Amino acid sequence: LDGKIGAIALATQTAARMDEAALIRAAQKGDAAAFEQLVRAYDQSVLRLALNLLRSQEDANDIYQEAFLRVYRNLNSFRFDCSFHTWLYRIVTNLCLDHLRKRKVRKEEPTVITTSEGPLDRMDNVPEERAHGNPERKLLSNELKGRLEQVLAGLTPRERMVFEMRHYQGMRLRSIGEVLGTSEEAAKNCLFRATQKLRAALGDLV
Amino acid sequence: MTCEDVRRFIPLLQYGEISFDEEESVHAHLAACTACADEMQREQTIHRALDHRELDPSAFFLRNCRDQLAGAIEAERAQAPRYATWWQGVTAAFSGSAFSFSFVRPVGALALIALGFLGARMMPLGGPLGIQSAGLVDPANARVRFVEAGPRGGVQLVVDETRQRVISGRLDDSHIRALLLSAAKDPNDPGLRGESMEILKSRTESDEIRNALIYALQHDANDGVRLKALEGLKPYAAAADVRKALSQVLLTDANPGLRVQAVDLLVQNPNEGHIIGVLQELMVREDNPYIRLQSEKALRQMKASIETY
Repeated sequence: LDGKIGAIALATQTAARMDEAALIRAAQKGDAAAFEQLVRAYDQSVLRLALNLLRSQEDANDIYQEAFLRVYRNLNSFRFDCSFHTWLYRIVTNLCLDHLRKRKVRKEEPTVITTSEGPLDRMDNVPEERAHGNPERKLLSNELKGRLEQVLAGLTPRERMVFEMRHYQGMRLRSIGEVLGTSEEAAKNCLFRATQKLRAALGDLV
Repeated sequence: MTCEDVRRFIPLLQYGEISFDEEESVHAHLAACTACADEMQREQTIHRALDHRELDPSAFFLRNCRDQLAGAIEAERAQAPRYATWWQGVTAAFSGSAFSFSFVRPVGALALIALGFLGARMMPLGGPLGIQSAGLVDPANARVRFVEAGPRGGVQLVVDETRQRVISGRLDDSHIRALLLSAAKDPNDPGLRGESMEILKSRTESDEIRNALIYALQHDANDGVRLKALEGLKPYAAAADVRKALSQVLLTDANPGLRVQAVDLLVQNPNEGHIIGVLQELMVREDNPYIRLQSEKALRQMKASIETY
């Protein structure tokens, strides 16, 4: 039975890939509906990555717009020598890395600010993003939340990117390496450094 | 496997990024070592804390992003239809499938006749292959697309020529509108963008034009063009997309004149939750006393705190 399910899953994946290739070819020929379908297949995860990385709706929207406009302008140069997902994520991660680097240079205000009642994540003022609020989230101590944000903000842009893609996007290190133009081993080292920093900073709270 | 090895593997184990054999060894060690098992528990607590901070874009936010992208792509499309090759562009223009301008076919037919006539006039009498003199085109306004060596040292070129045409029409004409929208985004000519904006702003009842104005207000590098876009959007100051753009101007635009106009428009309809955050943010970062005063007044009206703490 397992074998049968596996075969069905493989067939479904292959069909999806074929559909995607057909969509890309149609979009390359100027088919607006095909391009829209392509966008819709990926835009939610792109927006989620940008929102979680940058912790700002405005910045996430900027990344979203710029990434898909670049896809639109350069789709004809896509030659199927990697997956569309990898190609798109290369664009998105480059934009996000640039943004994070600029932020580091400008030393923008962090999303977490220290108040008389402890650290406060300004993103908490954004209306609840999930369909159903998570009560467990509210139980998490403010201090731990604040510290988490501070540590994450202190990671290097590449560590942050690898961490976000692995932890929140569930991407394998091999794919992350491919997207970032590096090896799986280098991505693994980046992830390791990020988790070490988290552990070192949060050790006394957990 | 030592405790040190295991602690190195623990974070990667959480992500399933170690080999089967390594995972077996780590689990065997954890079963026997309380200190490492505690370490594993701490790692899991951090993971849960990390999971709780994850943000999912709301459906509303996603829709806004999609709408904005659709507008931007529409504007790009109006500026230059995309085809995989230049030849596809030519054939599409004449097939009528991708290019729905009804006047293209007769114009194309006339152009072909004119080309044939000109070609016959320009062809050297003794030239069996019809290779023409390059004097036909002005190199400053032409782009060579294809080159082929001909016999006896000759050469054949396929050239795109840029020619000026005068087109007159009304804004109701979708083709005229598309050209104006394209001119409103010409990156090289702020004067042209400003003039186009001046004309477009009288027709903001069209979604297409309003989106172009919003885009210009948020992205145009020229203060004058942004100001014209803002003027055109004034009648729609209560619309959500316009208010969003105004909020962005308030928080990010370097021009105080634009920020003053934006705050005046925003506080006309202050009874909205999201505007409170914008105004509070302004109280922290805005230097202009008038804008601060307006923000403070609106916040007091809404019974919101003046600053964020």
